[in-house]
Amino acid sequence: MKKRTFGPGIFIGGFLLYMLIPIVATYMFSVATRWDRTILPEGLTFEWYKTAFADRWFLIVFKHSLVISLSTVIASMVIIVPTAYWVHLRVPEARPILDFISTLPFAIPGVVLALGLIRLYARPPWMLARTPAMLVAAYVIFTMPFMYRPVVNSLKAVNIKVLTEAAQSLGSSWIRTLGQVILPNIMPGIISGGLLVFATIFGEFTIATFLVGARFKTFPMQLVYYTRRDGRIASAYSVISFSIAWVSSLVILWIATSWAKRSSSGGSVVGKDISSR
Amino acid sequence: MKSVPSHHTKRKGRWLDWIPILPFLLLCFAIMILPLFFMLWGSFTSADGQFTLQHYAEMQASIYAKSFKNSILLSGVTAIIGVAFGSVVGYFICQLKSKRAQELVTALCDVTSNFSGAPLAFAFIVVLGSNGVLTLALQKYLGWGIYPEFSIYSFSGLILSYSYFQLPLMVLLIIPAIAGLRREWKEAAFGLGASNFQYWRHVGIPILSPAITAGLLLLFANAFGAYATAYTLTEFRYPLVTLQIGFLMKGEVFRDPGAGDAMGILALLLMSISILLYQFVSKRGIKWQR
Amino acid sequence: MSYLDLIHLRKAFDETVAVKDFNLQVEKGEFVSLLGPSGCGKTTTLRMIAGFEIPDNGSIVLSGEEITSIPSNQRGMGMVFQSYALFPNMTAWSNIAFGLRVHRVSTAEIKRRVNELLDLVGLSDDGHKFASELSGGQQQRVALARALAIEPRVLLLDEPLSALDAVVRVALRNEIRRIQSALGITTIYVTHDQEEALSISDRVVVMRQAEIEQEGTPEEIYIQPQTPFVATFVGTINQFEGILKDSERGLVSCCGGELELSITPDAAAGLSKGEALTVFVRPEEVLVGDAGSQDNSFQAVLRSVTLLGPVTRLNLELQGQTVYADIRTIDRHRYVLDKSVQMSFRRDSCRCMREGEALNENSAHH
Repeated sequence: MKKRTFGPGIFIGGFLLYMLIPIVATYMFSVATRWDRTILPEGLTFEWYKTAFADRWFLIVFKHSLVISLSTVIASMVIIVPTAYWVHLRVPEARPILDFISTLPFAIPGVVLALGLIRLYARPPWMLARTPAMLVAAYVIFTMPFMYRPVVNSLKAVNIKVLTEAAQSLGSSWIRTLGQVILPNIMPGIISGGLLVFATIFGEFTIATFLVGARFKTFPMQLVYYTRRDGRIASAYSVISFSIAWVSSLVILWIATSWAKRSSSGGSVVGKDISSR
Repeated sequence: MKSVPSHHTKRKGRWLDWIPILPFLLLCFAIMILPLFFMLWGSFTSADGQFTLQHYAEMQASIYAKSFKNSILLSGVTAIIGVAFGSVVGYFICQLKSKRAQELVTALCDVTSNFSGAPLAFAFIVVLGSNGVLTLALQKYLGWGIYPEFSIYSFSGLILSYSYFQLPLMVLLIIPAIAGLRREWKEAAFGLGASNFQYWRHVGIPILSPAITAGLLLLFANAFGAYATAYTLTEFRYPLVTLQIGFLMKGEVFRDPGAGDAMGILALLLMSISILLYQFVSKRGIKWQR
Repeated sequence: MSYLDLIHLRKAFDETVAVKDFNLQVEKGEFVSLLGPSGCGKTTTLRMIAGFEIPDNGSIVLSGEEITSIPSNQRGMGMVFQSYALFPNMTAWSNIAFGLRVHRVSTAEIKRRVNELLDLVGLSDDGHKFASELSGGQQQRVALARALAIEPRVLLLDEPLSALDAVVRVALRNEIRRIQSALGITTIYVTHDQEEALSISDRVVVMRQAEIEQEGTPEEIYIQPQTPFVATFVGTINQFEGILKDSERGLVSCCGGELELSITPDAAAGLSKGEALTVFVRPEEVLVGDAGSQDNSFQAVLRSVTLLGPVTRLNLELQGQTVYADIRTIDRHRYVLDKSVQMSFRRDSCRCMREGEALNENSAHH
């Protein structure tokens, strides 16, 4: 069982380079004065960021994307969380149906969803296909698996049934059970889902372009616009977009690990024992 | 099977219990099911409302056929690249001694698997565009002038950029499967006289095969449905299914709704089959983990 | 020279020493158990024999051949794991056939051998099943058959029955012994269950904290423990701390002078007056009632009664010390709680130890 020690290093090293170079290059490009003739940037500057921010469109698209993302997160939570909880607790036979539905969005490419929505809703007398509201609705469906999975995993892991029964046996009302027992325990799942939805929607280009197009510009649309006009501004936009995405990812990871530590002692262990019978 | 404690009687409660789920189901219906059925209907309907197969026949026309061919090729190639390299990288990550290092690399995969679309395409232009960092570096240090034979705005450019988000996705998928390879299986095989190669051939890889197949299917679907990355790199110059559909939708007036519908339905068919197979294979893989 | 020689084996992981200085000689066809609590080094020792761990020091010699640095897949040893480790992608049949395929045995021969082994372990009709379709006991039998298929020179078992129900455990351990006897395969068996070790082994090696405490036949281990640890780990035992009062007559003063025990002169011979020692007596040797021995006879109070099956354990209080006495369950109604009871034990039922070492070596009078 001889171990070749350079094999793993080469593969992982190569992998890391492949992953990091484009990211690092983008970040550096956004602060480079000029970088199309030399290996390293010719100079450093924040000029591109200044220009980007100075443009009145920046605030507009940023605001638009923020509003859409937050609306989607809230709408998603409001619709999906209670549904998942209700099904889990009261209508278990609906669970497989919901599980199946939650995987459907993966099979629908963004363009096709946009196409379908426009074909159906963009003709009179509807005329509501091209509104931000429709965009949010489409996004809720598009990111449904991202919110549904973590919430359902939370529900299962915390063994909602047993906790509810325990609370009831101690005399707790429905509302109190919901607020003080259930929600706090599935909050990590909800937050993870929310962050994932937020990061995904903030950077979503395809559906936004076709559904709301020129009437309601979003951040990614502006980014694409600049990739054709001025790469340096585009890189500033890229950095912002990507930073939001990976900060969200890291927060999700942090939540996942700290929650795992917390639930390894206490209620969930008991729950698992009972449910395995 | 113990039933859920309910305040309502079993018979009457049943119907009422489904009511709170309705908003969700209605939304799914309105946004997913209905438009898709409309598309299906539209793909079989001509401009004057008659039933027709013409739209599907049109799919044989060069531009559409080419789009499908290219999309399938691109998705297939990047799926294979992603699975092959992703599995190997995933395996080596699991071999890392330090838990910390493992967590870091896994976190990196988590983050980069979401780095797709326009920012990614743009990043690749910065790195491998005609004046890109790597392009210049290769020219300067190795004397390799990769342009004009290579271009980031071509098929190979698409492969490179698509592989970027395919690889980490596969790594994330394969790591639980590799972690599930219990040490005792390897020891048992060795104790029975097997060589390293025999262990992998008869035990290791067969046990990993559901994850690998699942990976191929998921990565295929992932690439097939991608739009923004390709659009940013090639706009509409390079025929891909998603780009073609987008092209048909550009502007306020629809160019050819029937063809768009037909394309959409065919794309959906392909994607659905991939995702369904993926689900099926994933569930089978879980069975072996006990 | 013996069949399997383990010489000065030592293994450490980072700061912890798992095995300090393990020496053992195993004869061909012998069934040896390594017995001890978790962390005593028994599994590490087994894994070194198998080749999954490389010893820091020492050597392993099998049939005259030094195998210490030979890789595990060339040692010809069959290993049975606690978690069965059946290959999940193969049927029971294929699992058993695996070792034979690796050794390029002909298909016809494989078929013959596998069927033979399935019969041997009593699973003739279950060859087509996968691990997930078999019970724990069945899986372990497949694992055993798989290890036996390659006709190993040494059979290694790592706590094979720990994951099974008590009833299955007893049945299976007898079967393992039966098969091993019939085939005459040298076997090393690791367990923390002393009843298991005592009932099926030719020899038992009791281990503790990386060292061997005592090695001998089950009888020697149980009836003549050499150290306090072995005495208390294997079975239950009563322990009296005392000081030697009279060397000639063998009198020991315990419980602050309140209790005087008689031990054999042989045991007392090695001690001088005033020296501290520990006297061990098994509960089954403590006789209750009038028809007892004269050597050590006392009145004790019955505090509680525990039914253990065919044996009932009386919890007696003697001069503030707890003494266990085992009686037959059918006799239990003779004794009333909180009442005085006559208890006694013979002199040669006493196992004496001074500073962790046994004193009487010739207690074969039973």
